[in-house]
Amino acid sequence: MQVDGGVQIDALGPAGPYRARARQPLAALSGAAIGEISQVPALYVRRTLAAMRAAPVVPGAVRFDALDRAAELFLTATLGGFAPDEYVELVSTASGVPRGVVRQSVEWIADVLRSQRHTVELARPHGAVADWRHEKTLTGSAVWARRGDLFAVHAAGNTPAVHGLWPEALALGYKVVVRPSSREPYTAFRLVEALRTAGFPPATITLLPTDHTVADILIEESDFAIVYGGQDVVDKYAAIPTVLAQGPGRSKILITADVDWREHIDVIAGSVSHLGGTACTCATAVLVEGDPEPLAAALADRLGRIPSLPPDHPDAILTVAPTASVVAIDRYLHQVAGDARALLGGDGIVDVLPTGGAVLRPAVHLVDSPTAPQLGVELPFPCVWVGPWRPEDGIAPLRDSLVLTAMTGRAELIDALLDEPSIINLYLGDNPTTWLRPGIPHDGYLSERLMRTKGMIRSAVA
Amino acid sequence: MSPAVLDLPQPGQSPADPDEYIGALMRWHFSAETGSPFWLRRAASLPFDPIADVRGFDDLRLFPNVVDEFREVPVADLIPRGLRGADRVVAGVYESGGTTGLPKRFVMFDRWMDFALGWDEHHYADLGTANVLAIAPSGPHMFGEFARRRARRHDGLLFTIDLDPRWIKRLIERGDTAESERYVAHIVDQAAHILRTQPVGILITTPPLLERLTRHDDLVELIRKEVRFLCWSGAHMDADTHEILRTEIFPGIPLKGLYGSTTILGMSRERDTERPDGLASFDPPSPYIVFRVVDPATGDDVPVGTRGQVVMNHLTKYALIPNNLERDLALKLEPPAGWLGCSVADVGPVATFGDHTVIEGVY
Repeated sequence: MQVDGGVQIDALGPAGPYRARARQPLAALSGAAIGEISQVPALYVRRTLAAMRAAPVVPGAVRFDALDRAAELFLTATLGGFAPDEYVELVSTASGVPRGVVRQSVEWIADVLRSQRHTVELARPHGAVADWRHEKTLTGSAVWARRGDLFAVHAAGNTPAVHGLWPEALALGYKVVVRPSSREPYTAFRLVEALRTAGFPPATITLLPTDHTVADILIEESDFAIVYGGQDVVDKYAAIPTVLAQGPGRSKILITADVDWREHIDVIAGSVSHLGGTACTCATAVLVEGDPEPLAAALADRLGRIPSLPPDHPDAILTVAPTASVVAIDRYLHQVAGDARALLGGDGIVDVLPTGGAVLRPAVHLVDSPTAPQLGVELPFPCVWVGPWRPEDGIAPLRDSLVLTAMTGRAELIDALLDEPSIINLYLGDNPTTWLRPGIPHDGYLSERLMRTKGMIRSAVA
Repeated sequence: MSPAVLDLPQPGQSPADPDEYIGALMRWHFSAETGSPFWLRRAASLPFDPIADVRGFDDLRLFPNVVDEFREVPVADLIPRGLRGADRVVAGVYESGGTTGLPKRFVMFDRWMDFALGWDEHHYADLGTANVLAIAPSGPHMFGEFARRRARRHDGLLFTIDLDPRWIKRLIERGDTAESERYVAHIVDQAAHILRTQPVGILITTPPLLERLTRHDDLVELIRKEVRFLCWSGAHMDADTHEILRTEIFPGIPLKGLYGSTTILGMSRERDTERPDGLASFDPPSPYIVFRVVDPATGDDVPVGTRGQVVMNHLTKYALIPNNLERDLALKLEPPAGWLGCSVADVGPVATFGDHTVIEGVY
């Protein structure tokens, strides 16, 4: 992708790289030109998907070996003309995500790739064998089988970590087509290159940069898709069971009166500021039984101490964005904050850097009710709403959470939270909402959607 | 009756002197004995005197865009009184697509239509006898009649399919993707049956329908085997799609576009060679059809090499349709030497036009 005159992000099609005549500029946060990204037409998308469907499925053992190799390549190899450090710098320059955060995400993706062998095993139902040749099918067994063939990824560019979910589809034997973010396509490009270099045939993993209209075709024509976006995107695909929309996480922390929050303030603050607040697992709301103000004040103090640094600084945590867009986010924050009391960020979250762009400074607001609408407002930086909770409020204020960390010793409450369908992950005690390990589901195992069991009985000759 | 300068040229004959032509044209359309009832009536409310004030192409800008009036005016009023004999033979009444509101109606004269059809004749020169399949709107649209005449010129048979582009637009407007997909599949099924059973040498269709055909490997094979010329019109085709069609899917089969509109009663022809950027360039038959490309905000001509909104003019003794602001954006190109107006490339729709969101759809 590195050529004279700048970076070129080509499509990576079934027959190799493809540079469209239609291209969009790629720019750094500062506005400086980086290069261009191809915008492939609908015809190219459809032909690519047809070629992918026609391609044979890579056998399981081969897939896992290739994923292991891809992890190493992704971490260490020069891919598309970029050495690992150069790639990190490119992502940071383009997206404003601090280099340290990019590196963390890169490690995470590599972990995900390496652990697929294990993850897929963990996710497979006990009654099912992975391969019909297993001897269990001689006496009758379930076999784990794919529900489809093509998996589309409509990626986001806010953090490279979004690429940690879809490798599971590849591990399950799906062919994967990735539509990269037009702001930060470098991670998707590098990952697809790594997977191809590691042995996945080009027709089993492709990269198709497109405009939004053409991106819809990709989703329509694939069997399953994962799509990142805001609430609008979630609503758009809500009725389509084959599209897994990844929207606002609205992750929360609950601290009941039997727990002293002072012992956990680092975990709470870390849940808010992890990855600069860009992850959907970052805590958006903290609900406290008792007076929430001391906790909010302590949180404001912790988050307020995070320094404003340019994204290339080794200690940088906070995301940098073009000043105009930070100003717009700030304005929006004040609009939605309404009657909430600001303990941090009330006088603005914009911190203009001499090196270009502005840091998105953290914000802490206090609301007076567990049903305050602000508690559901998720913004792409460390922005948290702290409010009161009483047992009689029940679990309603805790609904619609990607992750809920419940700091409580009340087993009945935990039972109720586990039974609540709109709480996707439940962490207990001293664990941040942002805790993630390969093999632990993020929004269920992908295989819950992508796979099914089929009954099989066979005679020895078959 | 009509001055010789307004007669359509014979093959090989060079077009008329532009200023002399425009002057004669104004006298024709605005004289009581030769003009159409529409223009003679309309002249009264023009704030200028067309015969005295319009002396050359640039002066045509004095005219308002009157095509919206063509939605209501009785079409017989559009016929210039001076047309006689063979000039007065009507080929049909055709309507604009209805992409932007109610359709506009136009009278197409036989002689003009034959000239317009011949505008890209050299592309077809070596084809000889050939049947034509038109997967294109017929009915009130001129597209279908052009296909009929194309078949006649090749001593071929014409195969057609009913296609109602306005219905597809209604479906798309309503967001009824499933139904519009079913309708298009129905069109493609019918085309497939013709391609499987009849020899077809010339295939005429729109870019979206051509793309639909390519989703079927068996149809691609049939087209590769039988079809010797692919003509597209009626919608935009981007450079990348153009290249994939030309080099990958239908290598060796000429793929040529026509860019036109019912509102100019004709079209511009694709140049023999693509630009270095892969875009097809289109030359209108100046001085009979003349393009301008303007800044949508100011209405001023944009410089060559710049994108703007297309303004079309139909300037013949058969009709006068000046200053028609089309729904398309295009790149302005230098026209061939001595021609009026400009040529265009990279034609695509404007997002909104008047009060209607433009829906390109299949047509």
